[in-house]
Amino acid sequence: MRFRFCGDLDCPDWVLAEISTLAKISSVKLKLICAQVLRDLLGEPIEYDKILKLTSDAKLESGDVKATIAVLGFILSSAAKHNVDSESLSSELQQLGLPKEHASGLCRSYEEKQSPLQDRLRACSLRLSQLGSVRWRVDYTLSSSELQEVNEPVVHLTFNMRDRECEKMTAVPVTLSANKFWVLLAELKQAQALMNTLL
Amino acid sequence: MLLVLSVEHRAHLGCLPRAGGAAVGELGRLALEQLRRGAAPRACESAARKLNISVDIIQHGVEGLVYLLTESSKLMISEADFQDSINVLGFSDELNKSLLQLYLDNRKEIRSILGELAPRLPSYHSLEWRLDVQLASRSLRQQIKPAVTMKLHLNENEDQIAQVLQTDPATLLHLIQQLEQALGEMKMNHCRRIVRNMK
Repeated sequence: MRFRFCGDLDCPDWVLAEISTLAKISSVKLKLICAQVLRDLLGEPIEYDKILKLTSDAKLESGDVKATIAVLGFILSSAAKHNVDSESLSSELQQLGLPKEHASGLCRSYEEKQSPLQDRLRACSLRLSQLGSVRWRVDYTLSSSELQEVNEPVVHLTFNMRDRECEKMTAVPVTLSANKFWVLLAELKQAQALMNTLL
Repeated sequence: MLLVLSVEHRAHLGCLPRAGGAAVGELGRLALEQLRRGAAPRACESAARKLNISVDIIQHGVEGLVYLLTESSKLMISEADFQDSINVLGFSDELNKSLLQLYLDNRKEIRSILGELAPRLPSYHSLEWRLDVQLASRSLRQQIKPAVTMKLHLNENEDQIAQVLQTDPATLLHLIQQLEQALGEMKMNHCRRIVRNMK
């Protein structure tokens, strides 16, 4: 059976297996647990003891609690990834065997946070490097060891690059003469015009 | 298969009969802790103080026991062979029996620890990917060139290394086809026969 929230593929076996665990928790508590899982997916710290308190009534073991968090995380992030609207998600979850109140509670939490979740996933997408900031300085060279009267302006640029992995900033310094700088500026303006036609 | 114990090894183990029965249990425990977590000089010092023997002799005794246990577990020697091998040391029957018990009780655990010491090639951790389309470059406008950029995360000896790869869709399809062919080999008769015989 193909499910849209799984990207038009079969639902993974472990998700099917954990649906019955989700049904053990009451639908109100499930909605609160969803809110916590959404906080984790959005990059905020997750409050694990709150989740433990909410699941204590259903008498779940620690392995089941972790499985619940994992399966909710999968459903919510996968639905955001494939841009599934909340009604389709609700009907697909009911097809998998999740009771109606649980599915509608889950989908209501999903609908509230769908856009922030998709923005966050877009920000986490693969990027090789990122420009942090640019600093510049214009100098005027008066004279040098080669020529007594130089009288030329010179631009110093420093590009601060952020590497995704190590969270380090590396500085790339570049020095350009006036003509080269004009060429660079003209080319970058052309690229910017092209980007604006796409926006 | 008999273990051949070197002269130095026998000298190290020679401290055991002098230490007495309870001490042998203590030294055995220290040897197992050393196998699980590495050398613990403070534990040896406290044992030396308790048993009233010098620290060096305790250290040698523990190391001798560690070597004896790892060699026996590595070769998976039978009880009879183990008993014959330690008979050369000329210990009392009671000591021989406690050493044999130590070996048999912990053989499986030692083997699992030894199994993890084998060298490992970098193994797969995760894959991030991105699909881009190049629309224009400095040299040529109005292009359409799709490309898939991938970041392969590998685990190598507890380090994480990342490899960035880029390919066009045709090569990617070829890559997928080759990998599926490789998986398909498992279903051929030749592989099936070997797998059946290994079980």
